[in-house]
Amino acid sequence: MSADVRMQAEYAIVSLAGEIDLHSSPEARKLILTCLQDNRPTLVDLGDVAYIDSSGVASLVEGFQLARQRQLDFGLVRVSAAVLNVLKLARLDKVFPLYPSVEERIKNAG
Amino acid sequence: MTDRTAFDQLKPTDLPAPPQEAIGIVRACARPNITSKRLADLITHNAVLTAELLRIVNSAFFGFRTKVTSAAHAVTLMGQRALRNLALCVAMRDALRPDAIPGLDMAEYWEQSLRRAVAARCLSAVTKLDAEDCFTAGLLQDFGLLVMLFIDQDRAGDWWRLATANPDERYSLEMSLFQMTHDRVGETLATAWELPQELRQVMGHHHTPILETSAPELNALCRVAHCADWMAAVFTATDKRPVIQRCQHLLHEHYGLSAEQVADLLDDLAQGVREAGAAMGMRVGEQLTLSDVLREANLQLVEDNLSYQELTWRLEQALEDRDRIAGELNRELELAREVQRSLMPRDNTGCAGFHGINTSARELSGDFYDYFSTRSGQIHFCIADVSGKGMNAALLMAKVSSLFRCLGKGIGDPAALLSMINREIIETSVRGMFVTMIGGRFNPENGLIQIANAGHLPALYLPANGPIQEFPADAPPLGIVAEAQFVTRELSLAEGALYLYTDGLIEARPRNGGELGISGLKGLLRRCADVPAAQRARRLLDAVRDAEIHDDLTLMFIDSKERDRSE
Repeated sequence: MSADVRMQAEYAIVSLAGEIDLHSSPEARKLILTCLQDNRPTLVDLGDVAYIDSSGVASLVEGFQLARQRQLDFGLVRVSAAVLNVLKLARLDKVFPLYPSVEERIKNAG
Repeated sequence: MTDRTAFDQLKPTDLPAPPQEAIGIVRACARPNITSKRLADLITHNAVLTAELLRIVNSAFFGFRTKVTSAAHAVTLMGQRALRNLALCVAMRDALRPDAIPGLDMAEYWEQSLRRAVAARCLSAVTKLDAEDCFTAGLLQDFGLLVMLFIDQDRAGDWWRLATANPDERYSLEMSLFQMTHDRVGETLATAWELPQELRQVMGHHHTPILETSAPELNALCRVAHCADWMAAVFTATDKRPVIQRCQHLLHEHYGLSAEQVADLLDDLAQGVREAGAAMGMRVGEQLTLSDVLREANLQLVEDNLSYQELTWRLEQALEDRDRIAGELNRELELAREVQRSLMPRDNTGCAGFHGINTSARELSGDFYDYFSTRSGQIHFCIADVSGKGMNAALLMAKVSSLFRCLGKGIGDPAALLSMINREIIETSVRGMFVTMIGGRFNPENGLIQIANAGHLPALYLPANGPIQEFPADAPPLGIVAEAQFVTRELSLAEGALYLYTDGLIEARPRNGGELGISGLKGLLRRCADVPAAQRARRLLDAVRDAEIHDDLTLMFIDSKERDRSE
């Protein structure tokens, strides 16, 4: 997995790529939580994620729960087909806010 | 000197002024027919030099029984060459004034040179070379360094580094400091000053004593100077052990000396340096004895050994600790595994038609299934998969399993049961952990099944005839959203079978292709439909047994045919 964080408007964009599994999910988790602990609305870009397991999904869930607790905007953008399939099977596509792109979310949020 | 590369083209004017008197004596001695009287006259011509030579010759260092009273007497006693050497040593000593190089302790330089001279003189006994030739060679062999410091006085501050280096290190250090070495400068100076040939050889070649020359005695003198350099370094080099070893090696190789004999020679140096210092009018500091040096070197050796022993001991301790902890952990894991196994039904006693199997990718599983019958005769069942793996997944699994057993006895409706478990989990959820779960109940009286799916893979109903029906999740997994709405769906078991499974099964990769997937599983279920229920779970697992399995793998099903037989 590779991971990257950048700022766009007031949003922190966490871009994840590759495979998010038991080994790599702690890093993804740390990045997502760090952004939220800084009180930044956060979007997780999953456009280049080829595989995600339940520990990876748990990292997203933890981000989702922390954002709710802190009343921060949180969502997933450019969700890849592989990830969307997992989310849909678990009905998590109804839980996480999903957006086609960062720009789209920022524009509509404003 | 501003341009350090100018060492390559040293001119006589760059060098210190030569000691003319001494050079005159050297020239005279080089003449074949010089008489002792002529040499004595030449020396006596310089009153200061004569007084100094007589003082030296009468010192304890030379140990003449009678007092030497004149240059002529000295020539008679010592011989022309020895006296010439002595004159040369004095002249070289005085060639540079003590304050000629600001920042350099000239006395310290000469003390080191004196130690080399005494060492070389000691070696004369085993080499059959002339003692004073050896002494002079030792005293002057490194004069080139003094000249380099005289020319490049900015480097005087580096003296202490040079002084505490061993000969090899000093040579390299000179290259980095001056881009030149003292032997080459020494040879240039010896040539310019017309020093005796053997001295030119020694000054130029004591670091490379094997010469392309036909004069074996010159080679021998260079070799003595080389060995003397290392012997003296035993007392000055920072790291003494390798220097002692080098000395032992050199003196054994060249002169066949044993380690004990080398120790004896080195033992004599301290006293020799004190006496020679007094004789030559050179100030010498307190002299370390060999036992002082050895004690220091041995101490270092002992310290190194101790730390090595301690390291070994610590490593052994760490390995023992690791094995002990690993053993304890394994016992704990085995216990935990046993507890986990006890949470899943061992057989289908009282629940005819129910079968299940669980294999864990790790010691502890995040998957589980369960079924139990209630007093009303209904059978409650579930399958669940906790996110992540390992101990934390296993602990949450145990909690969910308890909640299912406990709450299931009071709450009949699967959706209501999942809703209650969901809230319980959320209250204590950590790290976003969640549980996908299908909870259900089966009424043996009418064959009616009710199930609720919280984020789990679709339950698959395989009827006797017709297409497989999927019962996908209607709600997210447990532990994520408190207000999640769960839905109970109904089906009739009739002549079919209902299969519940975890992702380990559909993500298994059979050898002949990619992931099994849900469609692959459906095909597999159809192929195994006629396998007796008791063997079917194992058969299904066998079908993917050769596959690379990364996840826990769990399968549970309710089969109507067995139920029919049992009734």
